Amino acid sequence: MVKKILANGEPCKKCQDVERRLKEANHWAKLDAIVIANENDPKSEGMELAQSYDIGVAPFFIVENEGEIKIYTLFFKFVNEVLKDRSSNSEANKELIENNSDLDFI
Amino acid sequence: MKPRKTTGRRSPQQVLRDAISHHPAGRIAISFSGAEDVVLIDMAAQQGLSVDVFTLDTGRLHTETYKFLEEVRKHYDINIEVLMPDPKEVRELVTKKGLYSFYQDGHSECCAVRKIGPLKSKLESLDAWITGQRKDQSVTRINLAQTQEDQSFSTDDHTIVKYNPLSDWSLTEVWGYIRENNVPYNKLHDKGFVSIGCEPCTRAITPDQHERAGRWWWEEQTQKECGLHAQNVVKIVG
Repeated sequence: MVKKILANGEPCKKCQDVERRLKEANHWAKLDAIVIANENDPKSEGMELAQSYDIGVAPFFIVENEGEIKIYTLFFKFVNEVLKDRSSNSEANKELIENNSDLDFI
Repeated sequence: MKPRKTTGRRSPQQVLRDAISHHPAGRIAISFSGAEDVVLIDMAAQQGLSVDVFTLDTGRLHTETYKFLEEVRKHYDINIEVLMPDPKEVRELVTKKGLYSFYQDGHSECCAVRKIGPLKSKLESLDAWITGQRKDQSVTRINLAQTQEDQSFSTDDHTIVKYNPLSDWSLTEVWGYIRENNVPYNKLHDKGFVSIGCEPCTRAITPDQHERAGRWWWEEQTQKECGLHAQNVVKIVG
């Protein structure tokens, strides 16, 4: 998981919320690594990962499976597909529409 | 099944024909919103193509839209599968937040329950769907392809293809087709409605307004994501 530290030193609120949800659902320990993207440090590991994968949002998740790397920028999609937790289906749907304005006109 | 590679622009009729022939019956369907995308149903009928049609009944549509769905069903002698939201999710939403929470909290929560949930369930049974989406509907659709892998609903083990036969058409062309072919249309269009969705979230617009202005007009287009753009860093560091 790549999470962001804002320029003022504060953690980003969305990252905090995601971290809380992962811990409450007992998923936190399933993450192999937590990497920081520090807005004040473009050389921080998280910022370099974001640039290398051309990701513009935080948090995001890097999943490696049999040599194939997949990036998840939608938290609940990650929870559903990777952690196989479907309990938050309605929130996943909300996240989907909030991050995909094309769906507005369906 | 991956989208078939094609070269060059094709007519909407060609896209429709190719799409329907590319997938087994029952694994592809037209998503009909009850608005001007009735053109897709007419094009299929005119070409003698048999394809499933579904629509999303959110429970909050205009009476005119329900009447229109019925008119289309009879006019083309087709079945229209009417998808409805999970009653438990609707009950939880309206019990907790009332019937008009979208005016305060934005439309995404209600749309997630009433549209995305049933749509996602339906797409799990399909390999492809056909929409009436057009590039000129929104700035977010300027790169809309005629055929694309649906990134929103595909999963690791189930690729869904989305066909947008009308992607290159303008609203004017759509209406030209409707008039020329005597295609039935939603009577709300005669009252100034252009983009038609749920009753509380749709309004008539004036000719100089973009169709988007008729939907969720109370919401501001704000950046909802937690940005992580490199230029932010450069600006701060510099």
